[in-house]
Amino acid sequence: MENRIKEIRTKLHLTQEDVAKKTGVRRETIVFLEQGKYNPSLKLAYEVAKTLKTSVDKLFFLKY
Amino acid sequence: MTIKKYKYIRLIVISFLAILVSQSIIFRNYLLPIIGIVLSSSLLFYLRSKLKNEFLADERDYKIGGDAARWAIQIFNTFAVIVMIILYAQQDLNPSFLPIATTLAYSVCFLMILYSLIFRYLDKATFAKNRKLYIIIGIVLILMVAFSGLKLFSAEDNWICQNGQWVQHGHPAFPAPSVACTK
Repeated sequence: MENRIKEIRTKLHLTQEDVAKKTGVRRETIVFLEQGKYNPSLKLAYEVAKTLKTSVDKLFFLKY
Repeated sequence: MTIKKYKYIRLIVISFLAILVSQSIIFRNYLLPIIGIVLSSSLLFYLRSKLKNEFLADERDYKIGGDAARWAIQIFNTFAVIVMIILYAQQDLNPSFLPIATTLAYSVCFLMILYSLIFRYLDKATFAKNRKLYIIIGIVLILMVAFSGLKLFSAEDNWICQNGQWVQHGHPAFPAPSVACTK
């Protein structure tokens, strides 16, 4: 699963720590999410999208 | 309270508890570690409640924890079954092989049943459908453990400490304890 977390987060001048605190997870989880090494639950995906002021489908996508 | 401070205190508490448990075993005092475990758990529980806006674990940790637990159970069961078979087969070489093999067999069975029950319980839909069956299995499991415990700790077929010597009572399947008999 690919995502645009890092791209959008940088545009919003947010740190990984900021996103982690707002979404209620550890910073390491945001690191793994950005690297595409962890597929989040629907709830976390929604929380991250909300924090980054976007939608889940714009944030996460499958690359074929 | 920060997460770093909490982890530091937790390390100290666990270290202290480890020392307490090891010393209690040496001095054969079983009340102290129980009090220690209760006190340290309460302290850590209280400190954890003081962690505001800090996350000790999240969904990724729980997922990894679940995978690690499943792996650990599978590795332990495989290893225990192999060792158990070897010990049962070689019980003539050393009389202590039999109780070790029996303990391993019971441990594996207990772990597997407990895992299945917890799995089914967490899988609530299935649990609700077969609720009676799982309650019956749970009762049988508790009775099995209680029976095993009674058999293990009863004076029947055991070694009894009398006048500074280990005296055989019944037909124990294991050798006399290696610790000194002081009664």
